[in-house]
Order: sequence, then C-alpha cells, then structure tokens
Amino acid sequence: MASTQRAGRSRYRLALLVLTAVTLLSLDFRGFGPLDSVQSGVRDVLNPVTSLFDTVLSPVGDGWNAVFDYGDLEARNDELRRQLDEMRGDSIAAEAAVAALERLQNAVEIGFKGDIPTVAATVLRGEVGNFDADVFTIDKGSNSDLEVDMAVVTGAGFVGRLSRVDRSTSKVELISASSLVIGVRLVSTDDVGLGHGVAGQPRQFVIDQGPSWPEGGNPELLPRIGSAVVTDTGSRYPAEIPIGIVTDVSTPDGLAMVVTVELSNDVGDLGFVSVMLDAAPDEVPLRPVTPSTVVSLEIDPNLLDPDFDAGATP
Amino acid sequence: MTRLRLALVFMIAISLQLTVFIDVRIFGVAPELMALLAVMAGYFAGPRTGPSIAFAAGLLWDVYLPTHLGISALIFAVMAYSIGSVEAGLFHDSRLQLGVVAALSTALMVIAYALSSEILGERGLIDMDLLKIAAVSGLFNGVLSVPAAPLMRWALGPGLDRPVGAANRPMSRG
Repeated sequence: MASTQRAGRSRYRLALLVLTAVTLLSLDFRGFGPLDSVQSGVRDVLNPVTSLFDTVLSPVGDGWNAVFDYGDLEARNDELRRQLDEMRGDSIAAEAAVAALERLQNAVEIGFKGDIPTVAATVLRGEVGNFDADVFTIDKGSNSDLEVDMAVVTGAGFVGRLSRVDRSTSKVELISASSLVIGVRLVSTDDVGLGHGVAGQPRQFVIDQGPSWPEGGNPELLPRIGSAVVTDTGSRYPAEIPIGIVTDVSTPDGLAMVVTVELSNDVGDLGFVSVMLDAAPDEVPLRPVTPSTVVSLEIDPNLLDPDFDAGATP
Repeated sequence: MTRLRLALVFMIAISLQLTVFIDVRIFGVAPELMALLAVMAGYFAGPRTGPSIAFAAGLLWDVYLPTHLGISALIFAVMAYSIGSVEAGLFHDSRLQLGVVAALSTALMVIAYALSSEILGERGLIDMDLLKIAAVSGLFNGVLSVPAAPLMRWALGPGLDRPVGAANRPMSRG
C-alpha cells in the first residue's frame, strides 16, 4: 500500500515537472522577454566561476590538444607556410590594388565601412556541447555596447553575427552555419542574392537565391571564378564586407544559378575578432520597385463616378 | 544543506563542460556532464527526488544550449524517473553496472534531445553524426561515472530515498 502511494506521488511530481517544462518551452517559443533576461542573468552570474575554471584548467585542454592534435598542427603549419609564401608574392599587387581602390573611393565619395566603430574581442570558447558547431563565445557583451545581430568581422572579412548578448560575453553565430542567410553581392556581375553556409563544410558558402542563369549560359554573363563576394547594401549587415571568392558556378535546372564561394575567413580557427557597432535594421530595406509595365495616371475622373455611363452620349 | 551541495556539484559540472570539455573531446565529441548528473540523480535518489534534481540539471544546461529552454530539463527528468523506477532487484551494487546505465541512458538522452529539437523546429541535428555523438558521449559518461558517483552521493547526502538498498552502500568494484 505504502509503495503504491509512493509511486503515485512520484508520478504526480513527474507530471508537474513535465508541465513546467512544456510551459517554459511555449514561453520560450513566444520570445517571452523575462525568460531571456533570467537566462542571461544566470550566465552572467556563472561567468566568473567558468572564467576561473578556464584559467586554472586551461593547461589540461592545451595538453590534450598537444598530444592528440599534433599531426593536425603539423599539417596546419605546412599550410600556413604555403599561404605565407603566396601572400608574399601577392603583396605588391595588393598594394597597388589598395591604392587604386582608395583613388576610386575618393573620386566617387563612397562611404567606407571603416567609418563604423568596432570593438575588438577575444574568442573565449568554441562549440558548447555536441550540437552547437557553428558558434563561438567572445569576451565582450552589452557592457561594451554590443547588440544582437551586429556583424562580427576580421581583417579578412565577415565572420558572423551576434546571436546572443549577455553583460560580459556574447555568442556569435558563424557564417558557416547553414541557418544564417546573408544578402550578398557578386562583385564581377553586380548580381545580388541570398547565401548561406553548408553543413559540414566550414569554408564553403553557397548563393542559391537571387541570381538567375543567363539565357544560353553565356559565360561572359556568369560570375568570374576567383572574383569577390561581399555583403550587399540590402542585407542586415554593413555593405561591402568581404565574404569570400567564387570557386564554382552551376545551375541545377537551367534557370537558377548556384554560386559556390570559398569563405575568406577560416572561422574554425579564430583568436580575435571585431564587432561592428552598427545596429542591424529591424527590416531589411526594400529596394525601389520598378514596374515592368507602365500604367498611365491620366485617368478620366468620370470613370471613378459610379453613376457614370460610358456608353451614354454627353 | 543537500541543496547547497547539489548546487556546488552542478556548478563544477557546468564549468568543466564549458572549459575543459571544449578541448578534451574524442572524435570531436564531448561528454554530457549534466546528463550524467541526471542519470546519477535517478540512480541514487530514486523516482521521487531524482527527477526534480535531473530537471534542475537540464534547465541549467538549457541556458547554455542553442535550443529552446526546457527540452533538456524535460528529457532529463523523464530519464531520471525511468532509471529510478526500475525494480530494486534489477540493480546490483557495482561500478560496472552504473557505467553501463550511464552510457546507455546518455546515448538515449542525446538521441531524444536531437529528435525533440528537430520536431520543435531546429535543423541539422539528425544526421549520421548523431549516432557517433550518442555512442561516444555515452561511453565518455560511462567512464566518467566512476569519479562522478562518489561526488553525487556526497551531494545527495544521507537522505537518499532510492528503493534500492545497494545504492546507499559504498560500491564495490565491478
């Protein structure tokens, strides 16, 4: 009898817990503000403790990486040496290109993205748990005037957006996430479109909405392989931030164009980033609509009169 | 006092998960320490108290996860209740058994988490990696149950109401 009563009480308690969880889930779905504040508060309270653990136990992680990722480090070292050699060769050409760009910007008085103030931040940690691959946490938050949706960049280009901002830390959703859709412009053709990352391919980005395949597949109208891709003025982020370079152009059906881009940043291996203090607009600005047919506005006012008989003679 | 000790264990576990186990991974997979606490809560505290402790562990973990608040809490509570409700006679007093229970339960919770999150609108959680994550994090938790068990028993204190007498005694080597 006692054990039956005990089992009944246990089931009752479990039912209460399930109801509480479902309530929390539905409130979270609706974006209930106080719930976000409580979560943010918990993270802020625990932040000093995790920072302390990080300081004390960082040698453990470093030691693990040194032992188990040694081969990977060697390969990365070789790759960096190769890139350095390439960059030395390109530096003269780049210098000339920068000078030309500056002259062009001065000539047409284009606003430069460097005008937007930035906050430098250190990457604290990468993936938390096992299902959060395309994020990392930085050591700056609302204390440094950061807001959700601000763009995160490095000198090489776009890294991601702030998806969550606490008082002293923020979470960055990386450009490699397939869920982060970005408005971009193909520099060689001036086409605009929407692109996103590819799951499991941290250096790849695909533009699959917007540009259409030219009739007859005229190669002169296709984006040039190796040409740049940047954020568009119509995107939620400041314009002209480099995204990467075009590596492939294809069409799945002869109508839509799919552009594969190699990202300019290796987002899986960043130590420092900058946050652009330019709040994203709530709504993406609409471009002026150009109608395909023109309707004359010179309408006979009599047509608006419901009693007007068009067949009657005056 | 029990609550204070549990809070301390929770804080240690979440801090380890957010620091050491960002780097210490096997095949890119980290252990699920908060899930391990939930298993321990069901195992040692039984079906009456265990689910509440597991719920709290899940809620704390949800604060750091990208998915909706309450998913882990719900799954952890149900799993702790299931473990706690298993008939007393089925439990033997061994580290090996606790390790196996921790490994299997963790794998199940990981799969349940991915499925629930997908149902609730998250994308990209169910793929071939899911099986790898479930298997490796399960094995990781199975091994970590050895050092975690005494800590959790200390946190729960003498007021354990697990109907398994064995769970209240110091464990022998399995």
